[in-house]
Amino acid sequence: MSDTSPIIRCQNVWKLYGPGAEALSGQSASRLDDAFLAARGLVPAVRDVTLDIRQGEIFVIMGLSGSGKSTLVRCMTGLVDTTLGDLWIGADNLRGIEAKRLVDIRRRRISMVFQDFALLPHLTVLDNIAFPLRVQGMGREARLKRARELAELVALTGREDRFPHELSGGQQQRVGIARSLTTDPEIWFLDEPFSALDPLIRHEMQDEFLRLQGTLHKTIVFITHDFEEAIRIADRIAIMHDGRVVQVDTPEGLILNPADAYVAEFTRKIPRHRVMRAGSLTRPAPAQTEGTPVPATALVADIAARVLASDRPVPVADEKGAIIGAVDRDRVIAAICGTDAA
Amino acid sequence: MMMAALIRRPPPAASAAGRARMQAAAAVLGLILALVLAALWRDALPAWVVRPPKGWLFDLAGPVNRFLAWLSQEAAIGPVTVKGLTRGIASGFALPLDLLQGLLVKGIDLPLPGGTLRLAALPWWALAAAAAIFGHWVAGRRAAGLVLATCGYFLVLGLWEAAMQTLASVAVAVVVGAILGIALGAAAHRWPRLDAGLNLVYDVMQTLPVFSYLVPILLFFGFGPVAALIATVIYAMPPMARNTTLALRRLPASVMELASMAGCSPRQRLFLVLLPAARQGLLTGFNQLVMLSLSAVIIASVIGAGGLGNVVLQGLKSMQLGRAFEAGLGITLMAIVLDRLSHAVALRRPAHGNQRAGLRRHPALYGALAILVAGLAAAQTVPALRDFPEALTGSSGRTLDNFFAWANVALEAPIGAVRDGVVRHLFRPAKEALLALPWLAMAGLVAVLAYAASGAALALACTAMLGFIALTGYWDLAMTSLYLVGISTLIATLIGFPIGVLAAQGPRLGRITALVIDTLQTLPTFVYLIPVVMLFGLGDFPAMVAIVLFALPPAIRYPMDGIARVPKSLVEAADMAGCTRLQRLALVQIPQALPEIMLGLSQTILMAFGMLVITALVGTRGLEQETLVAVSKARVGEGLIAGLGISFLSIMADRLITHGSARLRRRLGQG
Repeated sequence: MSDTSPIIRCQNVWKLYGPGAEALSGQSASRLDDAFLAARGLVPAVRDVTLDIRQGEIFVIMGLSGSGKSTLVRCMTGLVDTTLGDLWIGADNLRGIEAKRLVDIRRRRISMVFQDFALLPHLTVLDNIAFPLRVQGMGREARLKRARELAELVALTGREDRFPHELSGGQQQRVGIARSLTTDPEIWFLDEPFSALDPLIRHEMQDEFLRLQGTLHKTIVFITHDFEEAIRIADRIAIMHDGRVVQVDTPEGLILNPADAYVAEFTRKIPRHRVMRAGSLTRPAPAQTEGTPVPATALVADIAARVLASDRPVPVADEKGAIIGAVDRDRVIAAICGTDAA
Repeated sequence: MMMAALIRRPPPAASAAGRARMQAAAAVLGLILALVLAALWRDALPAWVVRPPKGWLFDLAGPVNRFLAWLSQEAAIGPVTVKGLTRGIASGFALPLDLLQGLLVKGIDLPLPGGTLRLAALPWWALAAAAAIFGHWVAGRRAAGLVLATCGYFLVLGLWEAAMQTLASVAVAVVVGAILGIALGAAAHRWPRLDAGLNLVYDVMQTLPVFSYLVPILLFFGFGPVAALIATVIYAMPPMARNTTLALRRLPASVMELASMAGCSPRQRLFLVLLPAARQGLLTGFNQLVMLSLSAVIIASVIGAGGLGNVVLQGLKSMQLGRAFEAGLGITLMAIVLDRLSHAVALRRPAHGNQRAGLRRHPALYGALAILVAGLAAAQTVPALRDFPEALTGSSGRTLDNFFAWANVALEAPIGAVRDGVVRHLFRPAKEALLALPWLAMAGLVAVLAYAASGAALALACTAMLGFIALTGYWDLAMTSLYLVGISTLIATLIGFPIGVLAAQGPRLGRITALVIDTLQTLPTFVYLIPVVMLFGLGDFPAMVAIVLFALPPAIRYPMDGIARVPKSLVEAADMAGCTRLQRLALVQIPQALPEIMLGLSQTILMAFGMLVITALVGTRGLEQETLVAVSKARVGEGLIAGLGISFLSIMADRLITHGSARLRRRLGQG
């Protein structure tokens, strides 16, 4: 699913707001403790974040409002200058990058979807989608042709001539998504793209998003404050709290091994069988198992019916088809009831 | 729960708010007492406290005159004289103005190798038809009807040429003002430091009487319509620039981020993203630009801009009141039409129906253009099609004059009684009291108020402004202006506030009031003078009536909107707490609307100052008269300094009230 080479690397990234924050860029990070910051009236929006985002993965940054997730993603896109630390997009370090180079990266390699859609009110759906190409100087016919393809991709065919105020919220965000894909970027940033939508529409858009990613295979940085949304779409999740990244792990890893009470609080309400995979319930296989093996990567929710209906444990196989053990009824019941994880 | 808290405040809040009120009341009482004492015992005070002695005054007008004379005649930047530069700019403006006036009214002389070729102007029927089609396209059938009726009015009364001349001046001023305003507004948005400085400049531009900068403009740009055009742009441009900055600042942050993420260059960011996205706000500014331009073009008739304003002015001067009235009504109609159309353009939202290309997309526009071209061609070949048949024109002429004369005589007794009574018992005492005040006491009072309202900076600024007025020798004239504005504001508020409160009680009442106010607000200042002079003659009383009429709209609108905007849940809570209507109004709605009411007061004062400037034409005696006299006698320095005095007075009043209300709101715990 995901290549292991990192495409975005954050190394001890800090973003401070307040008087004289810029002057601190030469400081050593070790001095930036709470007392130092409070004495100067500085507010740390992002503190000492180090993480790698791998090529082709869906990386979710999750946190409540004020946790610094929006600032962090704005550091990654160069919309906000980092105060300290290095931030690499591929081979480019955003610290001290030339303006021209940054424009080039934005035109070709990265793009962004906004929470409030940020559609231009005076342009039609098609012109909005084609906007990034227009900025690059592409001719009208060529860019509209490309925009039509994308309108089709996000199921907006037939509405190309509408203006944004003539669309529903979900449709408006489809335009935002299409626009962010016109330049065929490598890295796709989505800043709470579905937060402004009704719950039903939000769910539908998440499905749509997963379907798109199934064909596009972009590297995705997805911001959300909704833990269930994060669980649903993420390969890996970074949880932010007070500007720090508290834990980076797979959804299953977060649930099985929350790093602290703050993370545990989020995971508590999540139905485990929708997150845990067969592999983590596997015990050494007894002599007698029943039926064909289930893959270790299958969600417990998807195999539960079969395991519960069977009198004997069900065998579990890894990607290569080798039996690595079996899962039995007690374990699945425990996972569903949330009484015991492992 | 919430309601109970509002009606009977919990003890600590009650005492804090109560103490604030008590302190404010005590301070105001104390100051008034001090002033009264100062006025009564002025003879006992040293003379320099009462008025600055002669030795303190400095002659600023002389140096200003000499400087401007030097600048406009002799100064040079390198090889280019300033005079050459300004005259160059003037001819730059003159070209489009001449072209448009030629097209609309005068005809154009084309210099050809074999002599000049005379092109006739666009005929009336083509212009009227094209305007009606355009009106229909932007604002619907009723607007088209209004356009046709207005054209008919001008044609039948023989005012067509004057109207077209005015229209041409307005059009050019609007184009120049829009380009300049958007450029300055965008610059202020890009560089926020520029914004504070520009705002100060706009404040002065908007409050400085037009009369006081007419002469300097004449000095630099020469006499004629171009001078009027430049004066118009100075007067009408600031709202365009301010609205541009405001609209750009109100854009969601994500729109800027989108521009960055799409990789826009600075120019692409401005022209492809920011300005189009802020379109609605820009068009609001554009509407104000159009209305103020019309207003200023009319005033500019004083320096010979011609057009409808000139007809009114000549009518008033020669007491042909009927003619003045006809032209005034014409200005009113033109104002309403321009307001309607530019408003409709501002409210237009794109819809997916009209996204066809070229001719099929805007059939009306191409139709109007075709009529204009056909009209131009027809006018060249068939002279009979050029002018409106004279047999069909007419003027009420003497009839209306006679009617006004009769009305004047018939109403003289009751109107005279009212006028004399008000002048004797209100105007004279107020004026005498204000003039009796020692200048130092007044300056001290203002400084204390400014300090209480905002702090040392405002107190210092106010003292400096009042010092400027006193030491340039204009104190008495300034007090004379102040008394007229003060009384007019008081009367406007006394009339406007109850109407506003009443109108807020029902949506239907509110709609009707809003319609009346909107119409009143579209009228240029000049128009108000006409009926007032007809009924009341010349002097302070008619001036007061004109000022009150002009300043009434904000006095009504702000309380009305403020009360209507009180959250519905609060009103319902008041009802559920068992408030009577009066209690609800006094305890919930008016306190909640206080910020808007105060803002309305400061707007009323600003409008009053705006009209005061024009009332110089009906013979008031304050600073405004000095600026008008300066025009006729070409005394540049005097006009500018007296004008600055008015500008300072209105800026002070505005700052004191806005800062004071903000402070009061904080102390009353309203934010």
